Amino acid sequence: MSEVPSVSPSSRRQFLRAAGVTVAGALGAVGLTTACSRIDLTAAEGGGDLLERLRVTGQVKVGFANEAPYGFINRDGELTGEAPEVAKEIFRRLGVDDFVPALSDFGSLIPGLRAGLFDVIAAGMYITPPRCEQIIFSDPDYNAPEAFLVPRGNPRGLRTLDDLRAQPGLRVGVLLGAVESGYLDKLGLSDLAVTFPDQASGIDGVLAGRADTLFLTAISLRDALGRRPDAPLEVTEPFVPVIDGVEQYGAGGYGFRPGETRLRDAFNAELHELKRSSRLLEIVRPFGFTEAEMTDLTADQLCRPAA
Amino acid sequence: MNFDWRAAWDSVPRLLDGMLVALQATVLGYLIALVLGLVFALLRRSQQPWVRMPVAVVVEFIRSTPLLVQLFFLFFVLPTIGIEFSPLATGAIGLGVHYATYTSEVYRAGIDGVPPGQWEAATALNLSRRRTWTAVILPQAVPRVVPALANYVIAMFKDTPQLTAITVLEGLSVARSLGAETFRYLEPFTLVGIMYLTMALVMAWLARIVERRFGRVRAV
Repeated sequence: MSEVPSVSPSSRRQFLRAAGVTVAGALGAVGLTTACSRIDLTAAEGGGDLLERLRVTGQVKVGFANEAPYGFINRDGELTGEAPEVAKEIFRRLGVDDFVPALSDFGSLIPGLRAGLFDVIAAGMYITPPRCEQIIFSDPDYNAPEAFLVPRGNPRGLRTLDDLRAQPGLRVGVLLGAVESGYLDKLGLSDLAVTFPDQASGIDGVLAGRADTLFLTAISLRDALGRRPDAPLEVTEPFVPVIDGVEQYGAGGYGFRPGETRLRDAFNAELHELKRSSRLLEIVRPFGFTEAEMTDLTADQLCRPAA
Repeated sequence: MNFDWRAAWDSVPRLLDGMLVALQATVLGYLIALVLGLVFALLRRSQQPWVRMPVAVVVEFIRSTPLLVQLFFLFFVLPTIGIEFSPLATGAIGLGVHYATYTSEVYRAGIDGVPPGQWEAATALNLSRRRTWTAVILPQAVPRVVPALANYVIAMFKDTPQLTAITVLEGLSVARSLGAETFRYLEPFTLVGIMYLTMALVMAWLARIVERRFGRVRAV
């Protein structure tokens, strides 16, 4: 995705959601042809014995895109982030201890997985119908609800999308190319949009009164505010945007090669166990995730094309 | 890379909106640059050091800092002390003031280029200071710098994408936005390139006309 150099990582995943169709479609086709030239990875029923093979070697290769806080290499040179940490815990429980990171462009993750360059994608990748045509997903381990960054005290009383209506002179900051400006379009509120080139200037914009709010995922806003703790701003309660009666999810999970259902199901079982025991939240909390990001959505629900 | 004509066609209306914004910012900014530049040039020739010096400092300061930094201060910092212009007005002022420092140097060169004999003649005729400037010096100084001044309108036009930083969505930022939405950059970038080229060529052509019309020093 080097085509969008000037957009910060967390905003980039915003429009990835919107643009999933193009990416998954185009790159999936590439992945298909690459896979043919390699050993057949999906012949046996349910993906065969990949899990057993991983257990024997004790190694799993993990594809990730360097993108904080979802999956990134930290200052000590180790792979960490929300997705890798959860995957590490689950594979440990499955009896695979050695975690081999494989850095990839975000857009190359799906073809790379299909070509057998790694065994699982742990990048917090949003589960979208077009991607589900290329690979299979675990159930999501988070859902990213939206929120508003507002001056402390929330003078405009913004809580949900409905609050944006009937507020004369309201200016809603969005990021250039991000999915939120699409939401405003669909609601017929595009006149309210003030488009900032990146998160940092969005925050400055709210501080300077250039916009009344910055509209982004709660995760990104918390992350941003964490870097500007002095700013007299606050993040509102996260909410799932509803447009024309349809809830808009941004839920991320782990990708497996199509056909590897046995590995995926074993992974899912452990993931559900982590959710039940609230261990999941413990693992992802250091990366800015909260109760609001926890979800019971399933991959099946998210793979179904929107009506 | 294949060129998708349909995607290209669909992006035209939004791109044209963006180009209109770029044009507005350029026209407004250029007017400011033309007038303010002359003011700077004249003030820098003031015989009062307390006028001359501060103006020189301001001009050099603005000329030696990036436009982007100035836009940032105009847009994000001025409102915190109660001065707030709309994003487009802020952009036009930013461009205008920045380019005024360049045009002031152009005017200065034009004024310096007027032969000393003209000054002496004005003195000999006992013309007032005001009349010396308006009737003798400027009518000779300005026409010779018209080509140089016209250059800056095109340079300024191509600087308008920097206004993205202050939420003004001109052509190029609309193209970037379209690319981010559709993951197709080829079509919007090609089109916006053609639009900039076309408009810059038209500006150059207009400048040529202005030059031919006013760019000759009349025999005094």
